[in-house]
Amino acid sequence: MKRTLVLSLVILLISTGLGLAEQVEQPKPASWADPERLSYEEIKFSPPKPERVVLENGLTVYYMEDRELPLVNISFVVGAGSVFEPPGKEGLAEMTGDVMRTGGAAKLTGDKVDEELEYLAAPISISMGMEYGTGSLSVLKKDLNRAFKIFADIIRYPTFDEAKLDQEKNLKIEELRRVFDKPQRLAFREFRRVLYADNPRGRLPVIASIEKIERDDLASFHKTYFFPRNLRIAVTGDISKQEAVDLISRHFGDWDDEGDFGTAPLPKPQENAPLFFFQKKVPQSTVIIGAIGPGKESPDFFPFTVLDYILGSGGFRSRIFQEIRSNRGLAYSAGSFYEGRQGYGSFGAYAMTKSESTGQVLSLMEGILKDARESRVPAQDLHLAKRSIVNSYIFSFTSPHMIAFQYMMLEFQGLPTKFLTDYPSMIDAVSREDILKIAEKYLDPERRTVFVLGDESKFDEALKSFGTVKRVN
Amino acid sequence: MSVSSQGPKAVSRRFVTFLLLGVVLLTASPGALHAYNLEDRVQRVTLENGLRVLLVERHTSPTVSLYIRYLVGAVDDGEGKTGAAHFLEHMLFKGTSTIGAKNFREEERVLKKIRETGTALDRERMKGARADEAEVTRLAKELKELQSEAKEWIVENEIDRLYSESGAVGLNASTGQDVTTYQVSLPANRIELWARIEADRMTNPVLREFYTERDVVQEERRQTYESVPSRKLMELFLATAFTASPYRRPIIGWASDISFLTPDYLEAFFKQYHSPNNTVIAIVGDINTAKTLEIVKKYFGSIPSHKLESHHVTKEPTQGGEKRMELVAEANPHLIIGWHKPTLPSFEDYVFEVIEALLSKGRTSRFHRSIVQGKQIAEDVSAANGMPAARYSNLFMVTGTPRHPHTAEELEQAVYEEIDKLKKEPVKKQELEKIINQLRAEFIRDLSSNSGMASRLSYYEIITGDYRYMTRYVEMIEKVTPKDIMAAAKKYLTEENRTVAVLKKKEKP
Repeated sequence: MKRTLVLSLVILLISTGLGLAEQVEQPKPASWADPERLSYEEIKFSPPKPERVVLENGLTVYYMEDRELPLVNISFVVGAGSVFEPPGKEGLAEMTGDVMRTGGAAKLTGDKVDEELEYLAAPISISMGMEYGTGSLSVLKKDLNRAFKIFADIIRYPTFDEAKLDQEKNLKIEELRRVFDKPQRLAFREFRRVLYADNPRGRLPVIASIEKIERDDLASFHKTYFFPRNLRIAVTGDISKQEAVDLISRHFGDWDDEGDFGTAPLPKPQENAPLFFFQKKVPQSTVIIGAIGPGKESPDFFPFTVLDYILGSGGFRSRIFQEIRSNRGLAYSAGSFYEGRQGYGSFGAYAMTKSESTGQVLSLMEGILKDARESRVPAQDLHLAKRSIVNSYIFSFTSPHMIAFQYMMLEFQGLPTKFLTDYPSMIDAVSREDILKIAEKYLDPERRTVFVLGDESKFDEALKSFGTVKRVN
Repeated sequence: MSVSSQGPKAVSRRFVTFLLLGVVLLTASPGALHAYNLEDRVQRVTLENGLRVLLVERHTSPTVSLYIRYLVGAVDDGEGKTGAAHFLEHMLFKGTSTIGAKNFREEERVLKKIRETGTALDRERMKGARADEAEVTRLAKELKELQSEAKEWIVENEIDRLYSESGAVGLNASTGQDVTTYQVSLPANRIELWARIEADRMTNPVLREFYTERDVVQEERRQTYESVPSRKLMELFLATAFTASPYRRPIIGWASDISFLTPDYLEAFFKQYHSPNNTVIAIVGDINTAKTLEIVKKYFGSIPSHKLESHHVTKEPTQGGEKRMELVAEANPHLIIGWHKPTLPSFEDYVFEVIEALLSKGRTSRFHRSIVQGKQIAEDVSAANGMPAARYSNLFMVTGTPRHPHTAEELEQAVYEEIDKLKKEPVKKQELEKIINQLRAEFIRDLSSNSGMASRLSYYEIITGDYRYMTRYVEMIEKVTPKDIMAAAKKYLTEENRTVAVLKKKEKP
């Protein structure tokens, strides 16, 4: 009671012009320097490089010591992703990863694996993505031998218990039933389907494809893609190099290097695609304009990274955020994303706005992308983007495991080691002309994918005023 | 930086478990762990104005994580003013009289007019159907013109620009029921920039672009609650479970309250709670403690503190019978059950920490084994202690999603079977050991990042008054006996003390 009274008195005072603002003497920042003029000691930091060891069968190991905590962290990457799934069995990669973890390994049942790992508090996770799969083990040093044996058995000898497969399939089916309950997630999923139309990356798991997956599919997917030269391991922590190499050789040294490196066609931009529309009764629309961008190995990668920063991934000052959110209050989430992968990249500009401003937001986003194609970015925008990307680069090296993991991924993606060391200077070398050229090349309106999810009956402007519309549901 | 994460977090289960479960003690740990005693590494300094500073040197990489936490949150919002703490957090990114201002004198003049016009417009709109439409249109037009005029005097998003250019990552803020947090990680040589910006916005914030940002918050509400039935269910569940406690209100605010929040109210709110003696700072990373303290003193030391009003917060009365609610929406079923219980640092809260882990920590937890794998009637079912926040008595909560064609009712019964087991059968030693092992290992893992450590130190310092709550956590957990668990389950996990919320799928016509 007392509190409410105090508060309302305060409000009353202010609204009658006797605000506390004038009554309370605030310290003046006059003595403080202009934040622009603060000077900083230089940071000299060259991130350490992991050591690299190749076993006779071709398995590559990256190692770094890290004695701060009594922990050992191990990760792997494997060239096995959903892009290699046979048509009609979408979801197979994910099921394989899940049931490797839950369906038993060597002589242990899945339940026994769970019990041992949880008693040791040594989590193992396996996650299969679109292009590749990753896995990890984190364990207290004292339990390393026991936990690593299980980890290795999961990688080499998963038993794919039928009952566990059924369980994982049922859980996945329920997850798919629920995709429609979260509109933003649904929007990005459907966007992926249309961005990668006619490419394996655009084939997504559905209930029917999950139902078709059988134990033999998992075993064969595993046998095909899990082999020494298609898998890399990073080990860091409270362990010496010799211990690490011995441990890995003991469990993987006799592994035959047999299998296939998967291949898949690269996605291509679609020419003159219609505007894709997903009707759903929600108070807020999701608007995405996507494009196929440059791959990580392309010289275009660096200018495109800077362009993406300026457009929408560079925080509050980026154009989409500043225009749609700060200036107009039309969205809470608005921005862009870009990921350079092997041979191609994916880009998207997005915003979520109330149904009644869907057309306005789409026009604003189109305008921002058009501007990027037509005029050189102001020097100060480029300066901010470059400084921000270069200065934050040290955060890619904040732990030994992060460093070893990055080197592992670099080599896995076929990139030269100097990619990591040259990255800041490559960003710094990007010019305003480079960005203009890159925007013209990749953001061509005839080669983009526009996607809208929302409730058409509430839109401020009919989508057909933006071009041919194709309903996708 | 994730632009979408500048929002309320404490209603998210993830946030709370992350804070409450992720921390364990070191002194009680065996063998090799003795060497790593966190209490010896933390420097705790209180400035003359009452500002508490926690510092930890960690030289793994040339980076530093900086957290500022204020003991103010949605619980402090006035009646009809829900969302104020959260909206203010958004506004504190708009700059100060020296950051983001081209000519502050000119700007102030326009801001005053914006405030007057906006307030008049709100007052008219508040009349609802009886509002004078012509007046609303006139004022709205006037406001728009003033807003464009103000733009001439400002540099937008300057705080974000200064930080970004310096290489900041994880620049963010969050508002919970209990606490408001401003956080950033920077290259270690940029601590002075942080101090300059943060001390300035602790004293001289300018609430510019107020009405546009109010629309942004409405979009945030639409995105995170109105469009997502399961989130909406949570909001309504809390409003049902609590009758009197401020925890019944959403952090982001009810839509109608947000639409009438005023600059005057936010300013008064700011002044009341943003005082150095209501603030904790944690700095973890590649720092020199003495030099860093000098910088902190230089910028924050001169900020005057004021006497904090210790106001009474309505206590939740004892619940006298089960409460149930239903939300009908075009989405698959969802279940939430909550029981009232005391908050930390009471011993019973530790008992519920153990119960949470027993029920839903990992694949060998009771819920997973019996309901997800055994009966196979749920996609997910998990327990969370300490919801929605920890300053006042709170809830032990269970949430779950039934697996089609199984229903929320079946899932609810299965949960009660597990609850009954807690009351009837003492927990075995091995199961308790497993939990302690997990919590201890998690603690060690959490120490491996600057931001994780800074987050935890500052959170427990501001909530409990002593960060050592977290360093002594496992020691306390180890004291929990099977008998304590049975007693707490019998006392609190009863039908009379629970609230049940169900999302029911709307059948398409």
